[in-house]
Amino acid sequence: MTTPLLASTRRVFELTLGQMLWARRTTLLALAAAAPVLLALVTRLTLSAGSAVVQINGRQIGSEAVFNTAMTLLYLRFIVPAIGVFYGTSLIADEVEDRTITYLFVRPIPRGAIVLGKYLAYVLCVTAVVVPSAAVVFVVMVPFPDMAPLFGSFVRGLGVLALGLAAYGAVFLWAGTLFRRPLVGGLVFVFGWEQLAAVLPGYVGRLTIAHYLQADTISVAVLLAATVAALWLAMRTIERREYLLER
Amino acid sequence: MIVSTDHLSKWYGQVSGLNDVTIAVPRGVTGLLGPNGAGKSTFMKLVTGQLRPSAGTLRVFDEPIWGNPSQYRRLGFCPEQDAFYEHMTGRDWVQALAGLHGMDDAAAAAAATRALATVDLLDVADRKIGGYSKGMRQRVKLAQAMVHDPELLVLDEPLSGMDPLMRRRTIRLIRQWADGGKSVIVSSHVLHEIEAMTATIVLMHNGRIVAEGDVHQIRALIDAHPHRVSIRAADPRALAKRLLVDDDVSSFRFEGDALLVETGNPDSFYSRLTEIAASGDAGSIEEVTSPDDNLQAVFSYLVKQ
Repeated sequence: MTTPLLASTRRVFELTLGQMLWARRTTLLALAAAAPVLLALVTRLTLSAGSAVVQINGRQIGSEAVFNTAMTLLYLRFIVPAIGVFYGTSLIADEVEDRTITYLFVRPIPRGAIVLGKYLAYVLCVTAVVVPSAAVVFVVMVPFPDMAPLFGSFVRGLGVLALGLAAYGAVFLWAGTLFRRPLVGGLVFVFGWEQLAAVLPGYVGRLTIAHYLQADTISVAVLLAATVAALWLAMRTIERREYLLER
Repeated sequence: MIVSTDHLSKWYGQVSGLNDVTIAVPRGVTGLLGPNGAGKSTFMKLVTGQLRPSAGTLRVFDEPIWGNPSQYRRLGFCPEQDAFYEHMTGRDWVQALAGLHGMDDAAAAAAATRALATVDLLDVADRKIGGYSKGMRQRVKLAQAMVHDPELLVLDEPLSGMDPLMRRRTIRLIRQWADGGKSVIVSSHVLHEIEAMTATIVLMHNGRIVAEGDVHQIRALIDAHPHRVSIRAADPRALAKRLLVDDDVSSFRFEGDALLVETGNPDSFYSRLTEIAASGDAGSIEEVTSPDDNLQAVFSYLVKQ
């Protein structure tokens, strides 16, 4: 008898959370989360001092617009995909590369639990850092009287961030079960293909995750479907694949 | 029989890792002996369900093991690779892996403590694995393999890198494990290590089983070839001086902080080395390894027969 999927998933989840705290990538995550906050603070202080104004095409723009721009350009186009690639690809591939996956494979658990446990730890870890970071940027950038009317779209924006982290993480976790070194391919996908597809005419843009995270084309259903499909494929791959650990 | 194979083969692309192996491994301790590349690790990875057979059948406890994780309740595996979650303490690591056997937190903690005590690691259990010596790392690997009290232990080169005293303790531990009615499949490329654990051996070479049965039959062949040992010690010169007192050392040379010794009588030599390590007269002995070229010579000879 194997340990049930949920119980096994919980154990792998706990183990992975501990590992993530010590991973080198955590430094990257902390930097990624801190950079927009610092940027927001600098912008806020500059605007308050009246020494400069943010202008686009000669028009002065408000702090709300600056916040929205930060959400789109910094978080959705850079931080979320970058974290998805760096963390997602590492979840399984690093264990294979480090040859520690053996210790998980020789336990009476469904291999799929390794995928699920690691994925849930990833989602919790990165969401717990990125979402508060965006919240702080909001508080810093948007004047207090403007917060109430913008609160709905702010919460929606945080939800989109969480969905993006979930979708990118799942897709690149799957890549990590397939390839020994998936990081380069992942970077090419998010910073090459996704950027290129965004400017190509027609339906090509729909073959990206970024397309479904944009305000005008957002689709929660597609993002959730992509996440579930990628997780299912990752579980199926790890159940069936032999991992030859190089010396 | 605890493990049985029928025309079992494993290929890595065009390369053969194991070739048409038919064997029945009995209960008790069975030693797999062969030089590097003989197919020992491939056989162990197949037996532990990490690899899927390319051809033939493999049964562990009379059931297939590939894609059958419930088998791991009865089986523990100590891999050869020196790979760990370095930031974790020995206790946390073994306990976390015990938890994957369905134990609750208290049971996993108790099982981890028991396993770490068995391998004499309790005193450093709360230190990070990254700070462990090679011998401690080998032992914590053993602890994770036995934490769920399996019926079968599969140990891939478990004595590699251990100092003489720890080798002796680990050999005793493996024998005691088997005395409790359990089984062990253990690999090594050093005959005297296997011989100290069991008389039942399987000789492997180039992915095939060359011979199986009683160890004494090949003893004479092995002894006919000089045996080379590399010893990493705090004071190699003092150690060389002590070793040269007896005539079981035919030659030696220094290589950095290691002493390379050639002996025609491995039994006597290892026994003396353990005594010297225990006395501490020649400083600490950190690691003893045996290159497998001496065994390779014997296998080449056997294959030619």
